[in-house]
Amino acid sequence: MAKEIRFDDVKVGDAMPELVKGPLQRLQLVKYAGASGDFNPLHTDDEFAKQVGMKDGVIAHGMLVMGFVGQAVTAWIPKKQLRKLGVRFAGMTKLGSTITVSGQVTGKREEGGEKIITCSVKAADETGDVKVSGSFEAALP
Amino acid sequence: MADLTKVGTEYPPIVWEVERGKIHELALAIGDPDPVYHDREAVVKAGYKDTPVPPTFLTVPMMWSDRMPVMINDLKINFFMVLHGEEEYEYYKEIYPGDVITGKPKVVKMEEKTSKSGSKMDMVTVEVVYVNQNNEKVARSRSLLVERK
Repeated sequence: MAKEIRFDDVKVGDAMPELVKGPLQRLQLVKYAGASGDFNPLHTDDEFAKQVGMKDGVIAHGMLVMGFVGQAVTAWIPKKQLRKLGVRFAGMTKLGSTITVSGQVTGKREEGGEKIITCSVKAADETGDVKVSGSFEAALP
Repeated sequence: MADLTKVGTEYPPIVWEVERGKIHELALAIGDPDPVYHDREAVVKAGYKDTPVPPTFLTVPMMWSDRMPVMINDLKINFFMVLHGEEEYEYYKEIYPGDVITGKPKVVKMEEKTSKSGSKMDMVTVEVVYVNQNNEKVARSRSLLVERK
């Protein structure tokens, strides 16, 4: 288990450990469709994806990439301390992409008896193209 | 295009029994090896009462309940032109296997926007507040749907 992160040890500007995912395989999109219940054919059917303008075929579920972000965050700070996670879907993620999730502490405050950190987070592919960007808040001991 | 007069509409609740198998399956699909989702001994060591759910778990009841296509139809959004713009979760209390959660979807915001390139889009925000079987608020989700026109 990861070392406990304490409020007093965290500074604004500190980086969250990076998480690298991929290369993204078609099988993962099929698995994610089944697990999440999102059966939009845009993520599993190349012909359909091309008809709606994706020239390279299927793209990943945005929520799968957000799932990668969730994995990166909770590998650093346990899920039970997470208070908020929000993202904007900034770009389409193609098969074969390698996604790196990174983040940075942007603020610290005390609220309602809890010590809260706010962090920015993003997921980008191997060319640096940002697919998901957002922020999260977590309570630290 | 979206019917902007529908702001404030509430939809029938999503009622969902949380199952350990679905938690394990979602974590596998994401490729998250965190033992708290896969190993009941690890759960106890990590200080949880039972298997916790991954941060994006609430997409499971939303998508499997078919509420999203119902809302998209009712709001007169063209399914083929809709993109998921943003997703946000607030977590109030852990959700565990055996919990029965109830989420009430509500359209909280609808507006037309014009992009920098001049194309018009309808932006629809759907909020779902989830409570558990003890009527304790466990989480809130907020989804922004963008319909290109």
